[in-house]
Amino acid sequence: MKPRPPTGRRIVNGVVSGLAAASALLGLLALAWIFLGVLSRGVGALNVDFFTRLPNPPGIPGGGVANAIIGTLAMTGLATLLAVPLGMMAGVFLSEFGQKSRLADHSRFAANVLMGMPSIIIGVFVYAILVLPRGKFSGYAGALSLGIIMLPVVARTAEDMLRLLPNTLREAGLALGAPTWKVTLTILFRAAKPGLLTGILLAVARVSGETAPLLFTALNSPYWESSLAGPTPNLTVTIFNFAMSPYPDWQQMAWGASLLITCGVLTLNLTARFFLGEKHS
Amino acid sequence: MKTTTLVFPYPVALDQSLALETAVPAAYAEAPMGPKIIARQVNFFYGEHQALYENDLEVHRHKVTAIIGPSGCGKSTHIRIYNRIYELYGEQRAFGEVLLDGENILDPAMDLMELRRRVGMIFQKPTPFPMSVFENVAFGLKLHYKLSKGEMADRVEEALSKAALWDEVKDILRQPGTALSGGQQQRLCIARALAVEPEVLLMDEPTSAIDPIATAKIEELIHSLKSRYTIVIVTHNMQQAGRVSDFTAFFYQGHIVEFGDTQKIFTNPANKKTEEYITGRFG
Repeated sequence: MKPRPPTGRRIVNGVVSGLAAASALLGLLALAWIFLGVLSRGVGALNVDFFTRLPNPPGIPGGGVANAIIGTLAMTGLATLLAVPLGMMAGVFLSEFGQKSRLADHSRFAANVLMGMPSIIIGVFVYAILVLPRGKFSGYAGALSLGIIMLPVVARTAEDMLRLLPNTLREAGLALGAPTWKVTLTILFRAAKPGLLTGILLAVARVSGETAPLLFTALNSPYWESSLAGPTPNLTVTIFNFAMSPYPDWQQMAWGASLLITCGVLTLNLTARFFLGEKHS
Repeated sequence: MKTTTLVFPYPVALDQSLALETAVPAAYAEAPMGPKIIARQVNFFYGEHQALYENDLEVHRHKVTAIIGPSGCGKSTHIRIYNRIYELYGEQRAFGEVLLDGENILDPAMDLMELRRRVGMIFQKPTPFPMSVFENVAFGLKLHYKLSKGEMADRVEEALSKAALWDEVKDILRQPGTALSGGQQQRLCIARALAVEPEVLLMDEPTSAIDPIATAKIEELIHSLKSRYTIVIVTHNMQQAGRVSDFTAFFYQGHIVEFGDTQKIFTNPANKKTEEYITGRFG
């Protein structure tokens, strides 16, 4: 039997590869467009005042978003402190202790659902359990909602990264007489370090741009706040408010804040890639 | 009851009141006699699937016992019972009796940490931990002993020397263990196992992932370790079994078909299957 001439397959192959490449290009193009747009309009807003001063009332030029920068950093930091240890332990449980147990199955399912949950719902949830009973918005509530969003991301990446390690490494540790927790902490964590760090950074990147959960929890504030006990200024809600305002000064500030956040998230992602790259080399 | 007079390997005066030098030294009298490990009627299951059937085996003290047989015959499964490492996987279960100096390893009350200190294991692929050469060897030591810094350094050097690796790594102790060559990594794993003063060394195809020269070094090492440890080695390589072992067990489909002196198994096997396997007709 004569083999079929390859012309037809070649054409199909060419068309499919072309479509795939075009889709990838489209995605990149959208990203570049957004980034360039934010860059060109936002760069004008960046100056020393932007980083060091409070927002001015409409009509008075100048001012900055220093309070919002600090508020965002503080809330993201607190959320990280909440979510990373808990998430790591959950990931260790799923990968090393629970494995196929019913509790692990249910926790994994819950984590997956939580990851897919719209962040505004988490904001409303924290509003109901923390803001309403206390009768005021607070940075703590904001940090809690960000932490809840981070938790499943950290747990699942920790599980996946630990699962990627060969079982021979676990066996070698156990064969020396080490208990499971010691093997996990001293051997597996070291072996999976780049992956775990990447997971944490991506989780931080994910929440540092969140707006919806903060609307219900931290709200915003035009002042310096010395604690997280009351409404707390933050970049994303500031962008939301300023961008919607009719004042060109404020709109300009919103562009600047957008650029700042975009650059921050981009840096986190690039750092994460750097860690992963280190692992593969 | 351990009777010192009857089982001792060299002639001893039965009347212990005779001259002092003929009496059994106290240290020897205390030492246990007979096989180091006795497996009796061991059955093993991977979930529903039975992998070992009624295995009976005696592992002799200070000898090398080779376990040979075709792929999937249960060689590795068998030795993985000796340190209960199979328990990492919940669905694997062993039944029967495995006596280590008379203590049943399969007894749920067995202290696993202590068992695994006494029964070390070397794996098919070298498994250096993601830490320095020094820390790799110190890892087990820290688990089982309280040592000062100086003692630790001495013990690490001793273990690396026993594994014939000290001269090659003494200047790179702070470098990662993973940076060593495959053969060196495997000897590092042997040093790590030796550091905690085990009595038995289980080797699961320890040379199948490394080159011939490194293999020769490890075989030499096995020879030198024999006098102090009891060694069980699983191997695919029949020449290797012939070279390094005193006793050989031939496994086939989960059964121990034949066990005896290596010399005899290789020159005059009693079982037809054994003969077919060692002459290369299957496997």
